[in-house]
Amino acid sequence: MLGILRTHKARAWLYQGLALAATLGLALSFVLIARQNLLDQGIATGFGFLERSTGWPINFALIEVSDRSPYWRMLTAGLLNTLLVGLLGLASATLVGVAIGLIRISSNLVLNVIGTTYVEIFRNVPLILQAFFWYAILTHLPSPRRAIPLMDIGFLSNRGLVLPALDISAADVFLFAAGTALILYGAARLGGAGTRASRWAWPLALAALAALFVLLLLTGRTPEAPLLTLPELRGLRFVGGFEIKPEFTALLIAITVFGGAYIGEIVRGGFLSVDKGRIEAARALGLKGFQINRFVRIPLALRAMLPALANQYVWLMKATTIGIAIGFPDYFMVVSTSINQSGQTMELMALLMGGFLLVNYGIGFVMNRVNARLAIKDRAG
Amino acid sequence: MTRKISSLLCSAALAVGLASPGLADSGETVATIKERGSLLCTGHNGSYLGFAEVDDKGKWTGFDIEFCKALATAILGSPDKLQIIPVSWAQRFPALQSGDIDVIIKVTGWTMSRDTELGLQFSRPYFIGPTNILVRKELEAETSADLEGGVFCINAGTSIERIVADYMGARGIEYEALNFEKGEELRSALYAGRCDALAGFGPFLAATRFNAPNPDDFVIMDEVLALEPESIAARQGDDNFIDVINWMVSALLMAEENGITQANVDEVRANPPSASVERLLGASPGMGERLGLSDDWAYNVIKAVGNYGEIYERTVGEQSAYKLPRGKNHLWLNGGLLYALVLD
Repeated sequence: MLGILRTHKARAWLYQGLALAATLGLALSFVLIARQNLLDQGIATGFGFLERSTGWPINFALIEVSDRSPYWRMLTAGLLNTLLVGLLGLASATLVGVAIGLIRISSNLVLNVIGTTYVEIFRNVPLILQAFFWYAILTHLPSPRRAIPLMDIGFLSNRGLVLPALDISAADVFLFAAGTALILYGAARLGGAGTRASRWAWPLALAALAALFVLLLLTGRTPEAPLLTLPELRGLRFVGGFEIKPEFTALLIAITVFGGAYIGEIVRGGFLSVDKGRIEAARALGLKGFQINRFVRIPLALRAMLPALANQYVWLMKATTIGIAIGFPDYFMVVSTSINQSGQTMELMALLMGGFLLVNYGIGFVMNRVNARLAIKDRAG
Repeated sequence: MTRKISSLLCSAALAVGLASPGLADSGETVATIKERGSLLCTGHNGSYLGFAEVDDKGKWTGFDIEFCKALATAILGSPDKLQIIPVSWAQRFPALQSGDIDVIIKVTGWTMSRDTELGLQFSRPYFIGPTNILVRKELEAETSADLEGGVFCINAGTSIERIVADYMGARGIEYEALNFEKGEELRSALYAGRCDALAGFGPFLAATRFNAPNPDDFVIMDEVLALEPESIAARQGDDNFIDVINWMVSALLMAEENGITQANVDEVRANPPSASVERLLGASPGMGERLGLSDDWAYNVIKAVGNYGEIYERTVGEQSAYKLPRGKNHLWLNGGLLYALVLD
């Protein structure tokens, strides 16, 4: 029996098993101790409260919620808000970051100075201050009654931006986005296949998109409602139209601008990491400028950027929690309010951590897949 | 053996108690205060605008401070025989239990858990704490119905969130709730015009209005969304002290009911219009000895701080910077909830 322990492999397994057992035991004892303490204090535990109605509303949600909605629905609305502002923020921060990165490595002196100034300012001011700054600007716009008209169809005021709205639901918008992505992916596959059907790929995709649009418009609409509603000032607010709240805008701008500065540096670093010798080699092979970029510089730079970019994305997603400071009901804010209102601190903390773990694990998963696809495939080493 | 002795002592004590009907000796707390020569009353760590404010010379003013002065005057004859001890909200209950203060007069809500679990005894409510709405004047809103579709700024995670949701929901008025975790952001959103209204505890709204860059742009609506009765708290078990506090509050209200003010109290005392006013001002005996105080204690109190209405208007009402509407803190005959007890 003891003979087995003498082998290196068995001992390694034993150590790992013991470490795992100790960790699990520790976690279990934490849970049990916390549970006992809560019981002693007469505090109810468990997730039963998720079915109870909240009694308080939030002012921004992608799904229908009110003060009569149960906690689980309110929390879902918060998580969706976080995803919305986070994903839009990541996309726009990437666009800004790429532009800034390219500006900084360009040989144009004026652009260089602009890029450097941007990075130094927005990277060195704390994100929360930037959020306050943008929010203060947006809330100091005129009141709804003195709103700034935009070509007589939209209005800009301290209540946000109202635009004419198509009478479609958020679910339809989501379906449309998902359908579009699918069609584009299919078209790219077909177009790249090099067969005779390939030349029809893009016209086909266009037709499919139009068909999807019409289909959703016909099925998803409330009958009798006008297709397009124009915002109109009635009493204290605008009725009709599509409203973008200043809290959302301020948070999105802050994440875009702040994230853009960091991503700009990552992009710059990626391009600078490309070995000069490789570019020279490409030139020696007779590749033209854009060919060098397309086939040599960008793929190499992208590979260098991806790990840092993945980190940055995860970080930015977590940074959406500053929404609480400017009144944006993101996941953190909804959880925080729920803790105050229901008193179920432990359970809600677990949900908060679980939610962010899920979101950030999702980002990590996607980035790792992309990374694997782009990695140099020379198994020979 | 021990049990026998203690039951003997008990019946002896009972006999003494029965032997002196009506004429109360001072309770333990009042005796301590008289011996010390000053009342130890609650202030605030900093200024709680309108209720307990301290200036750069260390002089305290405010609604609660006036009641401290009234109590000091009732017991010791002078509003100056008072020490204000600054305590935070959290400190007030332990400070009372440890004897650092004699009494809590600090907009303290009379709640069941405080009454039963913290060893406190509460007086009759001396202030009705309302949940109100602060609005921009330019909206010309008279009632909550005029705020249809408006944006309400609310402190996130407080009971106000639910109070507003219930109140507006029951009346079918649509509104948008914009919730902030911190008071500073809540205020700046209101001042910037991001929200049309701020819902909250009346005194908090009064202070928010006062701190606005342009206080005159804002007004607190009369409408009350919810009430919290605020009472004066003392240590459990000193009945005489609670009696003194209750009758002090009642005397201030009775003075207002009968039109007795700081200015005319001497005149009224010389020519009392009724027997009860005569008793109140100590022109005929009986008012003091039953509480273990001097007969003219109520006269001294009114002379020192005025009647309830005068205190209110001077510290938080129309004559003050805060302009908190009197609302439910009016006397019953003016549509409020306050009344004097029967002085016979």
